[in-house]
Amino acid sequence: MDRTLSLPTFARYTRTLTRSGAQFWSRSLRGLQPYLYIAPALTAIVLFVYLPLVRTVHLSFYQGNLLNPTRVYVGLTNYTQLLDSPIFQRTLLQSGYYVLFSLIGSVIIPVSLALLTLHLTDKEIDFYQSTLFLPTVMAFNVVVLIWAFFLLPTPNGLFNRLIALFGQAPQSWLKDPLFALPSIALMANWKIMGFHFLLAVAGLKAIPRECLEAAYVDGAHGWTLMRRVVLPLFAPTGLFLITVTLIGSMDAVFTPIRVLTEGGPNNATNNLMYAIYSEGFRFFRLGQASAMSVILIVLFGGVIYWQYRLLDRWVTYER
Amino acid sequence: MSVETWRVRWFARSLLSLAALIVLLPLIYMVGISLKPAGRVFENVFLPFTTTVTLQNYENVLKTVPMFRYLWNSILFSFGVAIGQLLLALPAAFAFSYYEFRLKKTLLALVILSLMVPFVVTYIPNYLLLADLKLINTLPGLILPMLGISLGFGIFLLRQHFMSFPKEILEAAMIDGAASWQVLLRVVAPANISAITALLIYILINTWNQFIWPLLIGGGREEAYTLTVGVQMYFINPEAGNRWGAILAASVLAALPTVIVYLIMRKGVLRTFTEGAIKG
Repeated sequence: MDRTLSLPTFARYTRTLTRSGAQFWSRSLRGLQPYLYIAPALTAIVLFVYLPLVRTVHLSFYQGNLLNPTRVYVGLTNYTQLLDSPIFQRTLLQSGYYVLFSLIGSVIIPVSLALLTLHLTDKEIDFYQSTLFLPTVMAFNVVVLIWAFFLLPTPNGLFNRLIALFGQAPQSWLKDPLFALPSIALMANWKIMGFHFLLAVAGLKAIPRECLEAAYVDGAHGWTLMRRVVLPLFAPTGLFLITVTLIGSMDAVFTPIRVLTEGGPNNATNNLMYAIYSEGFRFFRLGQASAMSVILIVLFGGVIYWQYRLLDRWVTYER
Repeated sequence: MSVETWRVRWFARSLLSLAALIVLLPLIYMVGISLKPAGRVFENVFLPFTTTVTLQNYENVLKTVPMFRYLWNSILFSFGVAIGQLLLALPAAFAFSYYEFRLKKTLLALVILSLMVPFVVTYIPNYLLLADLKLINTLPGLILPMLGISLGFGIFLLRQHFMSFPKEILEAAMIDGAASWQVLLRVVAPANISAITALLIYILINTWNQFIWPLLIGGGREEAYTLTVGVQMYFINPEAGNRWGAILAASVLAALPTVIVYLIMRKGVLRTFTEGAIKG
């Protein structure tokens, strides 16, 4: 009797079963919903960012031609060759030079200009922000051509005319190993400065006015106010700008290098990012380019990790 | 107002004006030289303008270079990427702001971390992928990888806006029997239309200005040149020596569309650029 089910009980049993089944399905469908919404975007990101990343690491253990599918496994050879190569070491060093120039042009100058806006009205700030931002919305490879015109090596080039006023002989700016890198860095910082100014002003505006007023009432003026109140509260934005600059400085000079010097003269304007590009697409050395990419990612990963650690400490300290 | 604050104010004004002048000067020269008569580019080189202003350089460029073809390609490229990214980012941002699910944090981290991968690292593998798909020198080849690269920014930005949208309104719509996709299209998207437009403009400008990727993928066939690539090819074209006026005229033409859009939508563009960076 216990083992057999009476019909009504059976009916109820199956009904609850199917109902809970339907509930189960509708619930798990609803549970699946967010994944369905995310799936297309995630597919695109995985396909065009993460898979390439994995493929880069994989390719870095091979040697082969970009245009030819035959590749030879070489283990760590690409890495050892790179680290032993004086040209590669110089490329790394020059990447550092670009960072130094960027710290001036993309951090110190825009932040100083932003601090000056504390004395101005919102309308004026808006005007300066909009004006300085203009190069950011223009295609860099296009506006960089005016710089090529300024830096013409002929005596009638604008820069050469300018230094002629001080009795200097004409220079071939972009073909001179000494001047080429600073010239390229100048163009990149000219382009980025306004964008970083925009960000710096936004960071300053995020500081509560009451803080500044309270400090002012408490007798902090001028330099003291700046050093003791404004700068500490501005620190997270400043740190962010430094990180963006550390990471972005190589990218910022990519286009002028490609258009005007192609890394030359004799590698004098090359940096790690452009080296990856030219190894891959000018010399077709797949393995070398990929190994450089891996080194770049490791360096960037370090910078980003460092930023998060610092930010974490500062933010907890403030609270 | 004390004399001191007055002095500080004018000091700030003059330094900022100087910075603005330095930033604007190359652009002024660009326009000025493009309007100089061809033979007189180096006459009074310090002055960006001559007394005679001519459109002769522009006529030359439009006569010798298929600028409208490039323009059309740039339009297809940037709208393809912008609309494609928007279609992918909208539902993803919706899910990331209103749903709770097990892998939420991990997937969001994956989306945001994808923005830290430098462009240049993805060039070679994506080039190989497109070569396998026979998409080199085609517009779909240009557009496709850009749908994944930098898509994270759109998702992140839209999520920020969606999160500040009151949840009660959504719940009310849900109780009224609307399916979630209807809520997205009928409630969330219209309510955030200004953020969506700003994002669209942001992607349009950024894609329009891209150069290295269109050069790699479309640089081998003139029918696939975007404006940026077209100007570069015109610049390196060895024929005729002294044609700076024409080169800069081509530059002005290529830069003009984004500048016009910026001047019209200035507030939205500045806000999007700021939000994307600071909140990151």
